[in-house]
Amino acid sequence: MASLLIQNARIACEENDDLTPADVLVENGTITQIGDQLQAPEGAKVIDASNKILMPAMFDTHIHMREPGQEAKETIKSGSEAAINGGVTGVVLMPNTSPAIDSAAMVRTIYDIAKRDARIPVYTSGCITKGREGKELAGIDGMLKLGVKMLTDDGDAVPDLLLLKHAMEYASEFDCFFASHCEVLELSGPRALNEGVVSHRLGIQGTPACSEEICMDRDIRLAHATGARLHIQHVSSKIGMETIRWWKQMGAKVTAEVSPHHLLFNEEDIGDYDTHYKMNPPLRTAEDNKALLEGLKEGVFDIIATDHAPHTPFEKSQDFVNAPNGITGLETSLISLFHYFVKTNEFGWGLIVNRYSAQPRRMMGLDPVPITEGGKADFLLFDPEGQTTFSSDYMQSLSKNTPFLDKTLDGSIDLVVLGDEVLLER
Amino acid sequence: MTRKDLLDIESLSREEIELLLDQAGPFKDLFTRSVKKVPALKGKSVLTLFYEPSTRTLSSFEVAAKRLSADVTNFDVPHSSVVKGETIKDTIDTLQAMRTDYIIVRNKMPGLPQMIARETKACVVNAGDGAHAHPTQALLDGFTFREVFPELTGKKILIVGDILHSRVARSTSTLMRKLGVEVAWLGPGSLVPKHGPKEIERFTNYEEAMRWAPDCIYLLRVQMERQSVQYFPSLREYTKLYGVTPERFKRIADQGTYIMHPGPVNRGVELCDAVMDYDRSLINQQVENGIAARMAVLYWLKPDTPTS
Ligand SMILES: [Zn+2]
Repeated sequence: MASLLIQNARIACEENDDLTPADVLVENGTITQIGDQLQAPEGAKVIDASNKILMPAMFDTHIHMREPGQEAKETIKSGSEAAINGGVTGVVLMPNTSPAIDSAAMVRTIYDIAKRDARIPVYTSGCITKGREGKELAGIDGMLKLGVKMLTDDGDAVPDLLLLKHAMEYASEFDCFFASHCEVLELSGPRALNEGVVSHRLGIQGTPACSEEICMDRDIRLAHATGARLHIQHVSSKIGMETIRWWKQMGAKVTAEVSPHHLLFNEEDIGDYDTHYKMNPPLRTAEDNKALLEGLKEGVFDIIATDHAPHTPFEKSQDFVNAPNGITGLETSLISLFHYFVKTNEFGWGLIVNRYSAQPRRMMGLDPVPITEGGKADFLLFDPEGQTTFSSDYMQSLSKNTPFLDKTLDGSIDLVVLGDEVLLER
Repeated sequence: MTRKDLLDIESLSREEIELLLDQAGPFKDLFTRSVKKVPALKGKSVLTLFYEPSTRTLSSFEVAAKRLSADVTNFDVPHSSVVKGETIKDTIDTLQAMRTDYIIVRNKMPGLPQMIARETKACVVNAGDGAHAHPTQALLDGFTFREVFPELTGKKILIVGDILHSRVARSTSTLMRKLGVEVAWLGPGSLVPKHGPKEIERFTNYEEAMRWAPDCIYLLRVQMERQSVQYFPSLREYTKLYGVTPERFKRIADQGTYIMHPGPVNRGVELCDAVMDYDRSLINQQVENGIAARMAVLYWLKPDTPTS
C-alpha cells in the first residue's frame, strides 16, 4: 500500500474526549498530513470515514495464547488474528504455557513463532520462578536481554515471600517490573467463584475477595520495601481497588489493571452454573463493579487488559467446579467498552485511548501511537453506528468461550492499519 | 402445572410445593393397604445414577418408583471421589441411548443434575449434588413437618450443625421459608454461612437459640471427615456446644419441641440415645415419608420422551 487517505474522520486522542474532524493521509506507513479536504495522491486508497472515529490502535498486556502446549485452545497465529479483529495491534503474552516461558530459549521460541505467524508485534512476559513452580528463580537475565520487560507467574501468586523478595532485590538492577496475580491459595477453595450469596446458593465453596486483597497488600509492601516496580493484574474487588489507591498515595511504584469482564459482570451472572462467567479472580458483586469503574475513571487503574483466556468448548461444558477459569476478551473488549460505557456516558474515548492504547505501551517501554503528523500509522476506525454480532464465524480466536457469544452489541471495528499494511477492513 | 425436572427447591413456587405435599398424602395412605402399588408409571423406566453411595436414599427412590409400577435400573457408576466432566458426558450419551424416562442422580458436583437435565429429554431428579441441593429431602421434611403442624405460617424451625456443607440445610431452609415457616440456624461460626438469605436468623449459642423458642429442632449429621480441616476443635467440643446432650434434651422435652434428623444419626454426637425413643422425635416418620414424597415427585414430573 503506497498511500491511504481517510476522509471525514473524527480523531480520538488520549488527552481528552474531544473528537477532532479531519482527513488523514498515510504514506509508506507514516501519517504525513492531517487536515481539511486533503487531496488524494495518485493511486491512493481512499476511505470515507464519515461519522466514524479514528483512534490509536489498542495494546493488550494480559494475553494467553496457549502456544506452546495447548494449541487446541489458541495459537499465536489465531490469537494475533483475534487481536486484529478486536482493534488490538500489540500484545504481551503471559508465560503460563507448557512448557512455561521461564528462560531465554523459551522467549526465543515465542519470538520465532510470532515472527512466522503473527501480523502484529507479539511481546512476551517471563516467569518469576522456574516452571511457575514458586521454588527457584527463573532465568531472569537471559529473558531480559531478549527484551522481556514484565515478570510474572500469572495464574498463581509466588507463595514464598522470601523468594519473591530476592527476585525483587535481584531485578532492581534491570529495566523490568513484576506483575502479580494476587491470590492466597489457602483461602481460595476450588477457585470457581466468589464467596458470597451466589456461592451459597450454588453450594460451592467460594473464594473470598480477601484472598486477593491480602496477597495484593503483601506484594505491594514487598515491592515498596525492595524498590521494585510492581503491576497488579486483574483487580476484582472494591477493597483491592482501595488498596491500590492507598499505596499510590503512599508513593509506592505500583500500577494496576482492570479487565472489561470485572467491570461488566458480577457473580449474579453465573445464574445456573454458566461456566462462561467462571474466571479467576472470580466475578464479585455489583458493588465491586461500581468501585472498579470509579477506580478506572479516577486513574487508580492505569490500564485496561483483557486476560484473554481461551478454552475449548468441551472443557467449558464441564461442571462448574471442574471447568477451567477464564474467557476470551481480545475481540469483545473495545466494542463492549463502547457499548456499556462510552454510549452511556460513563467515560469517553479519551479514557479508552489512554488506558487501553497509550498507557499499556508506555508500561512496556514503547511509544504511544497518537494520530499525529509524522507518527507511525497504527490505528483503527470505529463505527459507533455499526453493530457487531459475536458469532463463531465472526470470531477469529480458536476458542469461543465468551459470555458475548452470539450476542449483538453496538459499534463495529471497520479498519485496522499498522504501518503500510491494512490488517483488517470491513 | 408440570415440570420435566426437579433440580432444586429455589425454582419451585409455593403452589408447586403445596401440590407435591398434597399429593404425597394419598401415596402415604397407600402404604397401609395390602396392595401397595399403583399403575401410574407402568411401562416407564427409572434409572438411578448414584456417584456417591447412599443406601438409604437409593432404596427410598427405588421403593417409590416400584410402588408406581415403574421399571427400575441401577446404573453402575464407579464410586470414585472425583468424577470428571468427560466421564459424565459419556454417561449422558449412554443414558440417551437407553431411552430412560427418569434419571435420579446423586453426585458430589454441585450443578451436575442441571447439566444432565440440559442434555437429556428424560426427567432428572436431583438426589443430592454436593453442598448444593437435596430437594426430595426438603419435600419429605416439609411433609413430615406439616403432618405435625397443619398450619405452617409462623411456626419455627431451628436447624443445627454444619450448615455450610449441607445440601439438606439449604434445601430444607428454602422450602420451609417458602411455606411461611421461620427458619434459624445454629452451629459453630465456621460452619454457619454468612451469605445465606437475610431472613434466616443465625445463632452460635444454644441458649440463645432455645430462647427463640423453636417448634422443632432439625439436627444435621456431623460430617466426621470435616474434622481434618478443623472447622471446630474436636467432636467432644462440638457435642458440648451444639449437641442434644441429656441436660439439653430434658429442656427440649419440657418445652415440647419436636426433633428431626435426615439420618443416619451419629449417636452421642449430635444427639444422645434418649432422643431416639422420644415421642416427639420425627426421625422414623421422615424415613417413611421419604417414599411418599418421592412418589409424589415422580408422579408429578412429565418426561419429554416419546410414549411408546
Ligand atoms: Zn491471573
